[in-house]
Amino acid sequence: MQSPAAAQNYFELFDLSPDFEIDVSRLQAAQQRLQAVHHPDRHVRADAAARRASVQMAALINQAFETLRDPVKRSRYLLEINGAELPDDSATTNDAEFLMEQLEFREALEDCRDSEAPLQCCEKLDSQLRHRAGELAGAFVGELDAGQLDAAVDYSRKMQFIQRIQHQLSELQFDLEDF
Amino acid sequence: MALLQISEPGESSAPHQHKLAAGIDLGTTNSLVATLRSGEAACLTDEQGGSLLPSVVHLAKDNIVVGRDAVALQDGDPMNTVASVKRLMGRGSQDVKRLADILPYQLVEAEGSGVPRIRTTAGDFSAVEISAEILKMLAARARQALGGELEGVVITVPAYFDDGQRQATRDAAKLAGLNLFRLLNEPTAAAVAYGLDRGAEGLIAVYDLGGGTFDISLLRLNRGVFEVLATGGDSSLGGDDLDHALGEWIIAQAGFEQVDTALARRILLAARAAKERLTDDVLTTIEIEHAQGTWRGELDRETFDELIRPLVRKTLSACRRALRDAGVDKVDIGEIVMVGGSTRVPLVQSMVSEFFERPVMCDLDPDQVVALGAAIQADVLAGNKPDSDMLLLDVLPLSLGIETMGGLAEKIIERNTAIPVTRAQDFTTFKDGQTAMAIHVLQGERELVSDCRSLARFELRGFPPMVAGAARIRVTYQVDADGLLSVSAEEVNSGVAADIVVKPSYGLTDDEIATMLQASMEHAREDLQQRMLREQQVEGRRVIEALDAAMAEDGHILSERERQRIIDCRAALETVLDDTSAERIKALIEDLEEASKPYVARRMDDSVRRVLGGRQIDEVDIR
Repeated sequence: MQSPAAAQNYFELFDLSPDFEIDVSRLQAAQQRLQAVHHPDRHVRADAAARRASVQMAALINQAFETLRDPVKRSRYLLEINGAELPDDSATTNDAEFLMEQLEFREALEDCRDSEAPLQCCEKLDSQLRHRAGELAGAFVGELDAGQLDAAVDYSRKMQFIQRIQHQLSELQFDLEDF
Repeated sequence: MALLQISEPGESSAPHQHKLAAGIDLGTTNSLVATLRSGEAACLTDEQGGSLLPSVVHLAKDNIVVGRDAVALQDGDPMNTVASVKRLMGRGSQDVKRLADILPYQLVEAEGSGVPRIRTTAGDFSAVEISAEILKMLAARARQALGGELEGVVITVPAYFDDGQRQATRDAAKLAGLNLFRLLNEPTAAAVAYGLDRGAEGLIAVYDLGGGTFDISLLRLNRGVFEVLATGGDSSLGGDDLDHALGEWIIAQAGFEQVDTALARRILLAARAAKERLTDDVLTTIEIEHAQGTWRGELDRETFDELIRPLVRKTLSACRRALRDAGVDKVDIGEIVMVGGSTRVPLVQSMVSEFFERPVMCDLDPDQVVALGAAIQADVLAGNKPDSDMLLLDVLPLSLGIETMGGLAEKIIERNTAIPVTRAQDFTTFKDGQTAMAIHVLQGERELVSDCRSLARFELRGFPPMVAGAARIRVTYQVDADGLLSVSAEEVNSGVAADIVVKPSYGLTDDEIATMLQASMEHAREDLQQRMLREQQVEGRRVIEALDAAMAEDGHILSERERQRIIDCRAALETVLDDTSAERIKALIEDLEEASKPYVARRMDDSVRRVLGGRQIDEVDIR
């Protein structure tokens, strides 16, 4: 395992190769191994400077873990370390076809809310979204590997849109299940 | 460049030296202290052999009484006897208005402090001070049992406690003279007490219905590492509410119209006793002494269940939300640990078991389980178990945000983010020449500032005036392993490190906070002056270098008088470069620039002429 002080990026920190496809359980295990050494609980009786350093280190490990665990954040981080220009969150896609697809997903979400069997409707939509997210991730990897950074940025944005709808769907599912 | 350069903290601890440490459950109704004895966690008892210390404090002129003796004084002197003080911990006067009707004692507020204090004949006391009295009592019990000073303690808090409440708990420990190793979430402590860290890997739900709070925590266990995936709950829902629901039923049944403080207390005590009897019995009798005589009523378990069902349902709703936050399906939960005296209520056990579709764990005393877990963690943190790989990783219970334009709260760190965590966000000015910015730190999930809890307000001052939108104010939130927040702000563009760190604290008065802020602002001004001096020194050296280079090249174009004036000014500037005044250096730079003006103008003319001359030659060539 890399010593965190020498790691150049989050992937190295967790001893992973800088690819989109990662072994999440390996990531988890690496995160726990690092925290086992650097967490403030391991330095309770050290001096104040060492305790502060351990808080910073544990925060860095958490930040790195969170970035790599989430596929959208991971895709953006990969773009970043490959030197791509990342648009900020307010940027939109100008792909008309994709915009239409988004609209359709949103409408499907609304339809589920009013549907006779809302939970089944949500489940169906959920699997559609999952499938679409997988496709986009595949396309992202293809462009990234080919060095087509602009195209990869675009796919990363699209993955983010899909993820947002997935969040809205899970909000809805929660509301429906709650009594 | 490496991400973070730190040296490994060197820890030296003498081997084989057992450090005295204790775990404290500072509860709403009862508090406990536990420690490890020959490898087993055990609660420490008082002379009567009881482990529970009622969290009740009687405040008299020359005497502070804690525990059972205070309870005995409660009926006769309710105004000077404080119970359930945990509900006031870290709460502002605004927050406790809601509680004022329930609490029998009088709350006052020190001028503009925002901190409620309880008025007694012995004076006004804050919740932190009263909690410190309970902690002192527990620490004394531990010292006596262990025969020495405590190296440190672990104090448990509900996972749902916000920053103000955690900070207040930490202040209480400080006030009690205790070295706090760690604030530990109660549910995590419970899972540790069940020894689940020695068990298989898996997901654990901890359902904790205490006297005054409800917590649900979802933990993942993996090779001795407990990771809190999500927490949820309600910091104002607990066993007391079950008593209140039953109390209201009694008032309605008995037809009481006037309920004074003493009668209300008798009703609540009777309600609690009836609730406890209904754990084993299916029918019980309630008797209440009142001014007109004695009221006698019967209560069966079915009626009681109906009274409390809505409250239990509320807890299950919080469970559902926590499951969703963790991204976990309830059927994947391997163990359900029950904590808190209220989990003895049969309806609670059956509804929770039904919800998770599996039996619940309730072998250990639900009142002791948190303290036992805290003792185990304290022992590990004290360094008594160097081989232990137990590690408790935690998450932030509530989102942290900042006020933005229009009274909106913008989240900087989302709830259930793993801690420790550091997050920075940049903001900008909206007026030309603005040199200060107000920062309002918030905690909560709501969109509107007015719906969130206000943790701290401070101003960043003294950054240089710029056009609107040009300043970059970087606000950094850091949450440590205890879930405590510190905030700093800095104007990045100018590099002016006006850096203010505010630790929101309900233990401090506004005056104390003002003093803290004043100190850091003065600090900021010093930093600013230092920076300006350095800038002028660099600028002075740059001017001299450029001048020397130019003079070497074409100094001959100057008249002797011009040249002498420049050389004099240059010498004057050079002698003040190591000066401590940015203003003086700046003035002499301006002098030199003024003296060089004719020279600069002539050089400019010369170079223009050279360029133009060149073109003429080209043109000649073309012809």
